Amino acid sequence: MKKPRGTITKHLLVAPALVMFLAVTIFPLLFTLVLSFSNWKLGGKMQFAGFDNYKRAFTDELFLKTLLITCVIVVVAVAIEYVLGFLLAMTVNKVVRGKKAIRILILLPMMLAPVVIGFMWKMLFDESYGPINHFLGFLGLPTVSWITNSTMAVISVILVDVWEWTPLIALILMAGFQSLPKEPYESARVDGSSEWKIFKDLTFPMLIPASIAAILLRSIETFKIFDTIFVITSGGPGTATTTSTIYAYTVGLRNFNLSYAAAICIILLIIVVVLCTVFLKLVLKKRKNIELPDEGAVAEMGVAAK
Amino acid sequence: MKSSNVKWGSILRIAFLTLWMLFILFPLYWTVITSFKVPTDIYGQPTYIPGIDFTPTTSAWTYLFGEGKDRFLMGFMNSILIGLISSFFALVIGAMAAYGLARYKYKYGPMRNDDIAFTILSQRMMPPIVAAIALFIMFRFFGLLDTKLGMIIIYTWMNIPITVFLLKDYFAGISADLEHAAAIDGYSKFDQIRKIVLPLAKPGLASAFLLSFIFAWNEFLIALILTFQDAQTFPVFISGLNAQMEPKWSIISATGVVAILPPTLIAILMDKYIVSGLLKEQK
Repeated sequence: MKKPRGTITKHLLVAPALVMFLAVTIFPLLFTLVLSFSNWKLGGKMQFAGFDNYKRAFTDELFLKTLLITCVIVVVAVAIEYVLGFLLAMTVNKVVRGKKAIRILILLPMMLAPVVIGFMWKMLFDESYGPINHFLGFLGLPTVSWITNSTMAVISVILVDVWEWTPLIALILMAGFQSLPKEPYESARVDGSSEWKIFKDLTFPMLIPASIAAILLRSIETFKIFDTIFVITSGGPGTATTTSTIYAYTVGLRNFNLSYAAAICIILLIIVVVLCTVFLKLVLKKRKNIELPDEGAVAEMGVAAK
Repeated sequence: MKSSNVKWGSILRIAFLTLWMLFILFPLYWTVITSFKVPTDIYGQPTYIPGIDFTPTTSAWTYLFGEGKDRFLMGFMNSILIGLISSFFALVIGAMAAYGLARYKYKYGPMRNDDIAFTILSQRMMPPIVAAIALFIMFRFFGLLDTKLGMIIIYTWMNIPITVFLLKDYFAGISADLEHAAAIDGYSKFDQIRKIVLPLAKPGLASAFLLSFIFAWNEFLIALILTFQDAQTFPVFISGLNAQMEPKWSIISATGVVAILPPTLIAILMDKYIVSGLLKEQK
């Protein structure tokens, strides 16, 4: 299709990204895979152990519980973040004065290191010295055991994730709102369509690609949640907020059971890959069915549909 | 009818934004004032307004820039350097791949454009803990453990997928006709990209860089495992403050405030590129 020179250029363009992928993704992955089929303690010899580590994982009630906790956090947190992020993007898009300042303030939380966010909320959640319970007491409400009650600890952790990551979804959708073409709106207004109809038939469908990108990114990231929970509850009370990553970290780098930790990691990876593959397949099928007036989206659809 | 709808809409908007701002700002405010408190103000009734219910002191700050200066500044500078350099490389490598995938048709064995993009993105799915153990052994072998170069490689790698993912849409949204027209005018491929594609893709490039820097700046798990002393990043330094006998909240808060500053500055400087749309630039 292209001139010969173009074919050389095109390979050079993707080569560095693919080389990085091979060196820093595939190699560690293979190593972890080998480790998961072995019985290796620090300093010892590596022995083949078959599926022992995997059998252990599927009968390990604590591991299965961490999977459930992780899934609950992902579903609840990302759902809340998407709804709030969409509302924020829509709201900010319509603001006339002070738009820049508002936008920066809204985006601020996700720019902070999760470690700092963890400490920040740990102070706020403090049952004796924290301002949240002080405020509840002031209103005559009962105080809440934010991080010492098992159920509340999960809710608290989700609250922190919503505080931290709603901005990312808002940012992606803001860019989406900004790139909406003007013409379809003008003709819809001329036709006298209601605001709701315009939103339902124009705005929302055109934002579906951006929405999918945002939800996919956040779901993958939330599944791996570690930093904030590690700082706030260290997985506690008991194991109430021990997500799978925290569990793998504890098994591997606290108890130094590296082989078992490797098996857990491989299982986590398989779960994520399966979910993403199914999700993306659905997305690509769906995208072909939607007519997008935006030229960029059409071009992108062309690429996506190969 | 129409105007009352508009009015209610704007009241709801203002109410929602105000509530959100309070939700966002209170924890930040609390951290800032805590950095000016002494322990008796922290371990007692909560106090809210400096000068009214507690007397602000700068003891935490004088500690950070006095006694605790060396470790504090080292962590800070390490994170700045590693973050900026790795984001730059991620942007260059990612933009190249994104442009290729948006403009050319690939076929590597059974893999086409879609599959290549998916492969690059799939790296982002990998839980960092999966790579962490193997990377530790790999880095020890190559002598990269606890070095800035090692962390730059890791963070470049970590940020390539998001860069490709964001920029592929931007490049695809720029009509190839512009480049064809430029080619007819005798522009080389390099000039077409430099003079037409890159200026049009500025908002995308800027937001990809910004996001990359934030990810590198915030990353904790891998840095915790791969750095201990010389290349210790800022988050690892901060987490170490908690390991002491009792957490010194005023010092942790002061460090947290410092950790907010660089990303905020970048956001303010680069803001216009982030959301000012491609269409607006074309006009």
